[in-house]
Amino acid sequence: MTTAFRTGVRAALANPALQEALDKNAERRRAGWEAAFASLPESEARKRQAAEVRRRTIAELDAHLDAFTAQLQGQGVVFHRAKDGAAACHAVLAILQSHGVHRVVKAKSMVTEEIGLNRALLAAGIEVVETDLGEFIVQLRGEAPAHITAPAIHLRRADVGRTFEQHLGVPFTTEVAEMTAAARRALRDRFFEAEAGITGVNFAVAQTGTLCLVTNEGNGRMVTSLPPLHIAVMGIERLVPSLADLGVMLDVLPRAATGQSRTSYVSLLQGPRGAGDPDGAFERHVVLVDNGRSAVRGSTLAEALSCIRCGACLNACPVYQEIGGHAYGSAYPGPIGSVLSPALWGVGRFGHLARASTLCGACRDACPVGIDLPALLLRVRGEQTRTGRPSPWLRAGMYLFAWTIASPNRYRWAQRLAAMASRAAPGTGGWIRRLPPPMSGWTERRDFPRFDRRPFRQRWELSAQRVEAPATAKEPSVADGSKGAPALPSPPNPLSRPFRSGEGARGARATRTFMEAVERIGGEVFECRSESIAFEISQFLRREGVGELLAWGRSSPTMDGILTRLEADGLRLIEPEVPDGPAEERAARLSRYARMAAGITGAVAGLEDAGTLVLPSGPGRSQLASLLPPLHLAVLDAADIYSSLEAWLLSNGPRWLQDASGLVLVSGPSRTADIEMTLTIGVHGPKRVVVFVVRRE
Amino acid sequence: MGTVDADLFVTCLVDSLFPDVAECSVRLLRRGGVRVGFPRGQTCCGQPLFNTGFRDLARQQALRTMALLESREVPVIVPSGSCAAMIRHGYPELFAGEAKLSARARRLSERVFELSEFLVEVVHWTPSPQPGPAVVYHASCHLQRGLGIDAAPRRLLETALGAPVAALEPECCGFGGAFAADHAEISAAMLERRLHQIEMSGAGLVVANDVGCLMHLEGGLRRSGAAVRCAHLAQALEGEWNGLQ
Repeated sequence: MTTAFRTGVRAALANPALQEALDKNAERRRAGWEAAFASLPESEARKRQAAEVRRRTIAELDAHLDAFTAQLQGQGVVFHRAKDGAAACHAVLAILQSHGVHRVVKAKSMVTEEIGLNRALLAAGIEVVETDLGEFIVQLRGEAPAHITAPAIHLRRADVGRTFEQHLGVPFTTEVAEMTAAARRALRDRFFEAEAGITGVNFAVAQTGTLCLVTNEGNGRMVTSLPPLHIAVMGIERLVPSLADLGVMLDVLPRAATGQSRTSYVSLLQGPRGAGDPDGAFERHVVLVDNGRSAVRGSTLAEALSCIRCGACLNACPVYQEIGGHAYGSAYPGPIGSVLSPALWGVGRFGHLARASTLCGACRDACPVGIDLPALLLRVRGEQTRTGRPSPWLRAGMYLFAWTIASPNRYRWAQRLAAMASRAAPGTGGWIRRLPPPMSGWTERRDFPRFDRRPFRQRWELSAQRVEAPATAKEPSVADGSKGAPALPSPPNPLSRPFRSGEGARGARATRTFMEAVERIGGEVFECRSESIAFEISQFLRREGVGELLAWGRSSPTMDGILTRLEADGLRLIEPEVPDGPAEERAARLSRYARMAAGITGAVAGLEDAGTLVLPSGPGRSQLASLLPPLHLAVLDAADIYSSLEAWLLSNGPRWLQDASGLVLVSGPSRTADIEMTLTIGVHGPKRVVVFVVRRE
Repeated sequence: MGTVDADLFVTCLVDSLFPDVAECSVRLLRRGGVRVGFPRGQTCCGQPLFNTGFRDLARQQALRTMALLESREVPVIVPSGSCAAMIRHGYPELFAGEAKLSARARRLSERVFELSEFLVEVVHWTPSPQPGPAVVYHASCHLQRGLGIDAAPRRLLETALGAPVAALEPECCGFGGAFAADHAEISAAMLERRLHQIEMSGAGLVVANDVGCLMHLEGGLRRSGAAVRCAHLAQALEGEWNGLQ
């Protein structure tokens, strides 16, 4: 493995395109990280809180797992526990085969990379299509993802253009928007034809059985809601105890990962499709993967289980910036990968990765959940050394060094020897130009200083002014050591941001803040009086040339008024419904819905902090209306504007979550930056999100 | 003579490769009113052993160093960020789970100071302004991120030069101890990036408080034929502008 790693490193360093891509990634992601956390009030306290949530979860994992699986059972979600990767793949395969599934669409998931799920499914004759743009690209190329959150970070746009030309039969282009559109076209039918969708899970809430997926492109929403069967694969450590804890995590994850205050979509899934739901998966399974995690919990590397897979440590790491993700040879690259890989699959296979670090600590500073990565890397090194796997020269060198510094006398002699030897080495002035192995690597590119003929200790002895320090104390006895437990982070701050509803004097200000936030993330927003809203929407649709659109049912008097007006104005409204039935019929129906120019929904809440719309599932509340057409119109009552996700989760949220089989938070249009970090709007979800805020007088 | 007693833990690199840095450190401390002691028998803190994973060997060396520095209860001054971090954070980690030893390690860690930290925060020494070359400051990772020391060295440098001092982006130079030899190619790529930043800064001298980083940067600058040189903070504060030589 060590040799493979070194080969990979050399290849990466010699690849100018990769170097350019990695530099760009580091530069943009670091800037994004900084700006995003600067926008979060009391961000340091928030990160400490997030760290505490993760530590507490891992410490009490068994109880949380029990609570979680009990909740799943109550909701009618089937769960499977897999002790290793093979068992997890087997569980997924068994579900698919029992349903006669041949076509699967997948959303981005690190744990499925970890267990090699795609390989297992393909071997069983099941077609698996990755639908995240970056994952789609690397799958076409037969590569592994090069980054936890940006799979195609190693490619330039021309590489992607050629890949698409070759595999999708589209003309070569370097226009990112065109390539994104090509991927959208290529994947549309896959979504509609798929018999099952497989995703990972970003967080799962133990107390409520909620699965949370954090995405931007909209493919995650398609994969969880279009096919009749959804399988979520998650590491057992993905849990958080409560919805309030989830709110904390959702504040830090997108900021750390992509520099967003909230991703375009946050899906909260509970149970399969409800009795009156017009769409959604009929059956939902959760596969809980251990694959070494339980063992890590009891080790000195337990802290690594707090990781939320944001990739911030990769973006911050100067070594990752030089060598990229593939060189690591693990599903998890970068600093966290150099701890997780050996922790999960053995120091023997992956321990060497921990040595490819200067311990500079940039990863520790970037980590939103306070993982002390340098300390963990050092523990992996300790373990690798203890189990006898460091290189022979390192072992010999370190034993010799330890023996030398153990005695001041030997140390002094060594200084003299080194001074003599280094004077004999070739070089100029005080600096050596060439050294033999193992120091030859150093002198390839840099001079090495000569040892001084008069070390400081000698000068001190000669100095007349010295003040005696007592002579060396007696040699202390050397007792046996044991490794330390990971330090716990500081205690959490209590939830500090108060619940505020959009009522009363605050209302106007809240509306303004919300509207500004919507525009900031690329949405459009209009404020209307309740008497005129139906007219305004009708006018808007006329201007856009929309003739028919997907619509929610008459779920509220406001919606009723609007829909009545739209129909009166000659617009054709279609309330989507996806019944159980043959795959062909479903595909035809979905693709008909997808041809609609617009969809209209009624948000039950708006969140000021990121311009977010809350759209629950349920009777008359199709998820497709906000997902399939390129234009999404949402009606929101100004009184339903909340200051933050947490404020909503602590007040009205649980009621909606209790009643709905799922719920999505929509923040602006569907987006991606998977090709050369170029922001492209409108991938699988809508290109435009237009919010009509109904003002109450 | 001064009024504060303190011991100098000079570190093996400074002692063996750059004794001038130690002499400057002693002169500075004396200017700051410190009566400096030099515990005889000191060698290396054990950081190379710890960082390469030889924890048993590092632990034994930590025990020796701890005993040596316990010979009197005075502040211990270290003219290097990473060695100070080793004693302050590494020793408690090495002895974690051993009640008596970890208590000793913690007590020691409380009176270990990096040089600039001690000058600014304990003895409140202020250098007198003097003319100097165009300087750029390199924040060593273990100093800035590991110990959280950033303002003190900059303040000293700016006061000494009587002018604002530019700083490079906080980024690793690629040294990393054994890493620089073991993964020499990655290390060299990181170094190259740093040298480019130094060149862009237009400075004639790079100042830092860790001779590990400094010997790496200076070695790279010399090899690339650049005219820029490196100096330890103590040398800069003492007006030894020739630096590491």
